[in-house]
Amino acid sequence: MITLLSETLAGLFVPPFRQKEFVHQLYFVANKSLLIIVFCVCFAAVVTILESSFHMKMVIQNDSMVPGFAALLILRELGALVTALLLCSRVGAGYASEVGSMQITEQVDALRMLGIDPVNYLVVPRFLACVMGGMILTVIANMACIFSAMVVSQSYLGYTPSMFLASMHRFVQFKDIIFATIKGASFGGVIPLVACYFGFRCQQGAEGVGRATTNTVVVASIAIIVIDFILSYTFSYLY
Amino acid sequence: MTFVISLFDEIGGALLFLQRILRTFFYKKVKTHDVFEQIWKVTYDSFFTTAMAGFFVGAIMTVQFALQMKEFGALGYLGGLATSGTFREVGPLLIAFMLSGKVGAYTSAELGTMRVTEQIDAVRCLGADPIQEIILPRFIGIIVSSFFLLGGGLIMSVFGGMLMGQAFAGVNFEEYLRHVPMIVSPVSILSGLIKCGAFALVLATVCTYKGYTTTGGAKGVGRSVVATAVSTMVCIVIMDWFTSHVGEVILIMVRGYRS
Repeated sequence: MITLLSETLAGLFVPPFRQKEFVHQLYFVANKSLLIIVFCVCFAAVVTILESSFHMKMVIQNDSMVPGFAALLILRELGALVTALLLCSRVGAGYASEVGSMQITEQVDALRMLGIDPVNYLVVPRFLACVMGGMILTVIANMACIFSAMVVSQSYLGYTPSMFLASMHRFVQFKDIIFATIKGASFGGVIPLVACYFGFRCQQGAEGVGRATTNTVVVASIAIIVIDFILSYTFSYLY
Repeated sequence: MTFVISLFDEIGGALLFLQRILRTFFYKKVKTHDVFEQIWKVTYDSFFTTAMAGFFVGAIMTVQFALQMKEFGALGYLGGLATSGTFREVGPLLIAFMLSGKVGAYTSAELGTMRVTEQIDAVRCLGADPIQEIILPRFIGIIVSSFFLLGGGLIMSVFGGMLMGQAFAGVNFEEYLRHVPMIVSPVSILSGLIKCGAFALVLATVCTYKGYTTTGGAKGVGRSVVATAVSTMVCIVIMDWFTSHVGEVILIMVRGYRS
């Protein structure tokens, strides 16, 4: 997998640059998954803010800090993580089955025979598109999250949007959203690498493709959680 | 417009399929041996994955709560709050995500392959009911084993939280665990369990339905696997909100006041 990563990184700077393919993949990653991700993330934000108000009431008998905390939790953790997990099941599974089918129908070997490097042709545009798409989707998901949290805190907890924003302003810094974007980019980079790795090593037959897809989703989800942990731990020293 | 119609079509199909499964469950003999085999297989396959995910989830929750608690100087509550947050909400959700990636995709690929290679039709030709023979053991197996996996994941999450509390916030193990019994009430654990059960029910229904209704050869199997992964995630998030909301309403009704 590390070989694949290094080949991909080298391929980023080696012509031919496949711009058309990149735009095509970016459309697939970002635009096609936008609606579903925004939808899910909104629900997750609603649940988060209700739960954190529950906990705060229990411990300090007062939930006036809840909007700030919830916004902080959403920006630092939840937005990027839930987006990445959804992308992983949608895009990762799609890529793995696509590349796996190409491998077992010997299309990858055909590419190699034509003198085209399969890593450059298949992996690099997907990698770039997922990194870009992860960043964009994370920012959009964070905004949607905060918006839905605002709506819920208005209707359930009785905070007006201005109170919400004021409380948020005390806790949230601009750094947070930059860190969230970095997280989104690194999660996005993991997905196509894992998917193409398992796709290239796909065994013969329909079962092989199924197994490659399953392995991709599992390994990529675990990798995302582990990377999230490492990044949170690192960023916590930078505040 | 066709999108909306096909959405309703899918939902209705899945619900009818669930009804058929439940009817088989209540009126026909359950294959006990197959059920236990499935429970063992699902648990054994995903135990390591869920335990590892639980460990890191606990660690992440502790780091995040520690950052907030430091501002209040209430680090003593760190353990209780992180554990409660994991038990009530994040634990069941993330374990359901892991299960949907691993078990859901695997089951729908298996059933889809069976359907495409006409093994399900063969079972019907032999005079047996495919739902009773094939679907029901998997359905029950997924639901039962999700509770075992939840238990393992939650224990690992407490463990990961303890380690991180020690390393990151300087809260030692006794201090971390001291407030846990005070904050984590039986109701919290019950709500976590109900959530886990609801997620497992949704997951089992969607993946068996998608696998059972696969059409169109090897490509169709791939398509139904991807569709399973996406739709289970969406359904789980919606169920999460739904169970939180309904649970709150039921709690208010039982207690007679808003907490």
